[in-house]
Amino acid sequence: MGLWFELAASGLITGGIYALVALGLNLQYGLMRIMNISHGEFLMLGAYLTWLAHTVFGINPVAFLPVVAIVLFALGLVIYRLCFLRIARTSSSVDAIEARSLLIGFGLMYLVQNAAYLAWGADMRGYSFLSESVEIAGARFAGNNLLAFGFAVAASLAMLALLRWTMFGKAVRAMMQSPTGAQLVGIDTRVLHPMVFGAGLALAGVAGALLSMIYEITPGMGEPYTVTALIVITLGGLGSAAGCLAGGLLLGLVEAFGMHFTSPSLKMLLSYGVFIGVLLARPKGLFAR
Amino acid sequence: MHRNTVIKAIAAALFAAVPAPALAQDAPVRIGYAIARTGPWAAGAQVSQEPNYIMWAEQVNAAGGLSVKGKKRKVELVGFDDRSEAETVVRTYEKLMGSDKVDLILPPWGTGANFAVMPVVQKFGYPMIGPTATGRKLLSMKNPYFFAILQQPDLMMNALAEFLKARNTKTAAVIHVDELFGLEQFTALEAAFKEKGIQIVEKKSYPLGVKDLKPVLNDIKAKNPDAFVALSYPPDTFLLTAQAREIAFNPKAFYASVGTAFPVYRDKFGPVVEGVMGLGTLNPKSSPAAKAYFDAHKARHNKEPDRWASAHAWAALQVMEQAVAKAGLDRKALRDAIAGSEFDTVIGKVRFKNGENVATPGVVSQWQSGEFEVVWPPDRATAPAFFPKPNWK
Amino acid sequence: MSHDLRRIFGLLLAAGAVLAALPWLASDFMLSLALTCLLYVGLAVSWSMFSGATNYLSLATSAFFGIGAYVTAWGFETLPYAVVVPLGGLVAAAFAALVGAAALHLRGAYFAVLTFGLGELVRHAITYGEKTYARTVGRVIADAPEATTVYFTVLLVALLAVAVCAAVRASRFGLALAGIGSDEERAQTLGVNTRRTKILGFTLAAFFAGALGAAMAVRWTYIEPASVFNPFIGFQTVLIAMIGGAQTLIGPIASAVVFSVMTELLRLEFPYAYLITLGVLLILLVLYLPGGMASLFGRDMASRFGRGIAAYFRRAWRPNA
Repeated sequence: MGLWFELAASGLITGGIYALVALGLNLQYGLMRIMNISHGEFLMLGAYLTWLAHTVFGINPVAFLPVVAIVLFALGLVIYRLCFLRIARTSSSVDAIEARSLLIGFGLMYLVQNAAYLAWGADMRGYSFLSESVEIAGARFAGNNLLAFGFAVAASLAMLALLRWTMFGKAVRAMMQSPTGAQLVGIDTRVLHPMVFGAGLALAGVAGALLSMIYEITPGMGEPYTVTALIVITLGGLGSAAGCLAGGLLLGLVEAFGMHFTSPSLKMLLSYGVFIGVLLARPKGLFAR
Repeated sequence: MHRNTVIKAIAAALFAAVPAPALAQDAPVRIGYAIARTGPWAAGAQVSQEPNYIMWAEQVNAAGGLSVKGKKRKVELVGFDDRSEAETVVRTYEKLMGSDKVDLILPPWGTGANFAVMPVVQKFGYPMIGPTATGRKLLSMKNPYFFAILQQPDLMMNALAEFLKARNTKTAAVIHVDELFGLEQFTALEAAFKEKGIQIVEKKSYPLGVKDLKPVLNDIKAKNPDAFVALSYPPDTFLLTAQAREIAFNPKAFYASVGTAFPVYRDKFGPVVEGVMGLGTLNPKSSPAAKAYFDAHKARHNKEPDRWASAHAWAALQVMEQAVAKAGLDRKALRDAIAGSEFDTVIGKVRFKNGENVATPGVVSQWQSGEFEVVWPPDRATAPAFFPKPNWK
Repeated sequence: MSHDLRRIFGLLLAAGAVLAALPWLASDFMLSLALTCLLYVGLAVSWSMFSGATNYLSLATSAFFGIGAYVTAWGFETLPYAVVVPLGGLVAAAFAALVGAAALHLRGAYFAVLTFGLGELVRHAITYGEKTYARTVGRVIADAPEATTVYFTVLLVALLAVAVCAAVRASRFGLALAGIGSDEERAQTLGVNTRRTKILGFTLAAFFAGALGAAMAVRWTYIEPASVFNPFIGFQTVLIAMIGGAQTLIGPIASAVVFSVMTELLRLEFPYAYLITLGVLLILLVLYLPGGMASLFGRDMASRFGRGIAAYFRRAWRPNA
């Protein structure tokens, strides 16, 4: 019993982190069909900002989270205005928007990642925060991992609640369902789109900030997280917030149990195998819209 | 009057002609290289290798220049980013050796890049001393122009086995990264442990980039081995340290090969690293030369070098410097000088046999109070070992 | 054979003759640069042949390229270079056929991410297989062929890719692909066997990616999964093709050359800032040149070609109209 609990808990925590990373990307794609392939780079920025704040100014990383969110939200507004607005306006079809924003994403990836290399160098950086273990039901978990998991679940639930019960959420869902219809009833994309894009980036940044307490930080750390995010949101169903959480947790569980019962080397094979298997069986993901 | 003018003109011409050959002697020695400044190889390259190249060139020039068979010439580094891509490595060295025709070359970072550049090095005949390339596979290519100055897997693993044996270690759990490095180290370790009678109670491997190894560590903890050995790369080393501490896995010996020697390991984990062992060749206490090297690196780059590959990178530069002083820039003569002589460097004596440095032994180091002390072999040790390792803080 | 197609083949032969002389005219470095250009011409053209026409954005190029590279890694000891290259293409094609049969019912972003996942799956499968059964992680290729041989091989494969792409575009098969791209349901009702057409197109594109991977592998001496299955190869192919204009023939070709040369120049001249510059240029290009670089070659030529194709399409699918 203890073993199962330990494995499941481990898997859920890792899965929660996956879901956390994917949240922002899901929001952007679900609403605007923007496949922001530079998502991981903003996660990296959040990590670096927190590291700087903590090691240079001694600021508490948890207290710094709202700052990261605000800074990246603002950055998101700017980037949307400069890069993506024009695409939405001048594209002939939704497919064209997807294709062109994919390319812009690449450009942003080059830009942000290498700006980081230039600014901070390629060296690994790191710090530890809340790394002491907490004992729960006989198993031990590092505090920062629990924090990331807790935040992932809280944020996902908050997102679901927001989308379902608030006016803002209803506007977003309306836009997802029918862009023209939504505009006809007065929902202003000029306000909504930048805000959602900014929110997506803010979520990426906060994920990065939480991860910076656990893992080491390099300018290239973003890409693997972008990949994970893509897998998670595709697995869960593009645009579905519940799917994002479920997809992430599922992946984490598959990995934990897989590693234990087979071998860690098979972990990646299992993850991708499950992903491809699910997609072949349910082409629009687990929680298809 | 006519003759006077002519004589004056000739004298002036002669006078002008004399300094000209002296000016031609000041042509700098051009040293080319490609190294990872971006991409997955960059973290290692920028910690262990390129900072040494830059610092060396500056130091040499400050002292008047590189001695080429007695004559001093300034050094000019011609370095490019290889973007952690083998194809870019090959292309850049083709440019440096084939088109730019630089005088000397320095190696790129890592076994993969060194493999890629081997045929080019052989084709153009430029000797190269690699401080971040290991492996039997690499050396078995028997490239006469390539010299590996880093300790090879068997040396390192034998040292570890001797160290553990001397402390009556009976059992060990070993995990390794699914890369050539991990595999070769593991093969060497299996042989060394078998010879020393240390039983391996668990062996597992994992892919690079894994984000959670707790299931594996829990399994190993249950088996209660005397020693835990991870043949790992920096990201996994960091992960294992954090997670072993998380589950309070306290074996008598905790060893992780790569990454433990990086200053960021100590900076990130602080006092937690106390007692962790790993690959490391020297530290500032090893010798006055070592301390001078550390201080200079810190002053120039605002960061410490790592305690393993950095030192070997510096030593490789010293070897080249001494060989050029003796044999000049003729590449064949230079290669022979490197292959046939013994050199005094910051890591001690360096001597090559079949392209491999046989003079530097395998070393085990351990973090003690903020310094990565050398604890084995006894004649290189800077401090006695903590054994068993104190529990995670 | 139509007049246009004959003209294209003629141009290809001429280009081939000129490029074949390069080893005697250029330095090793320039030859390597030309090699990179040719590689991406081959990759981008074969990618656009399928993905540009059908709008099924495939990120599987890295998978096919890596498979080809590994065929060389495994086969090079026993088979000659001239055999491993097409063999690499065939193995990649076989894999594509399998994948296509299973996955080509997916659309849009799902298809893209799935193909990406496939690349990673193959990479990890090979890593695991090699590690467990061959007790090794990478493979060493000793006695690689001369740089000139590699160059000629890649040149040949690239030219073949362009020729095949041109032939496909002028054929009924190409029209079917384009029809799937513009309206798949409609194409189906008009009698196109969409499933078979897609699988065939996907497989054909994979062949060239695999052959190119098999050809290039010998340059790196040491083959390991992480470097040959590098997703960046796939990303760059997509980038180049789309910037050039994935629905045209000349677009990916010109884009591949410009992109490769520009990246190299920037890398050599501006050691740190070049990728930032590249990113900015890319963004500007996408924002202000929506038709891709092909639109620079004159809207007229592109639209005339397009209109001609459309007319042929109408005639081909409505023979009684």
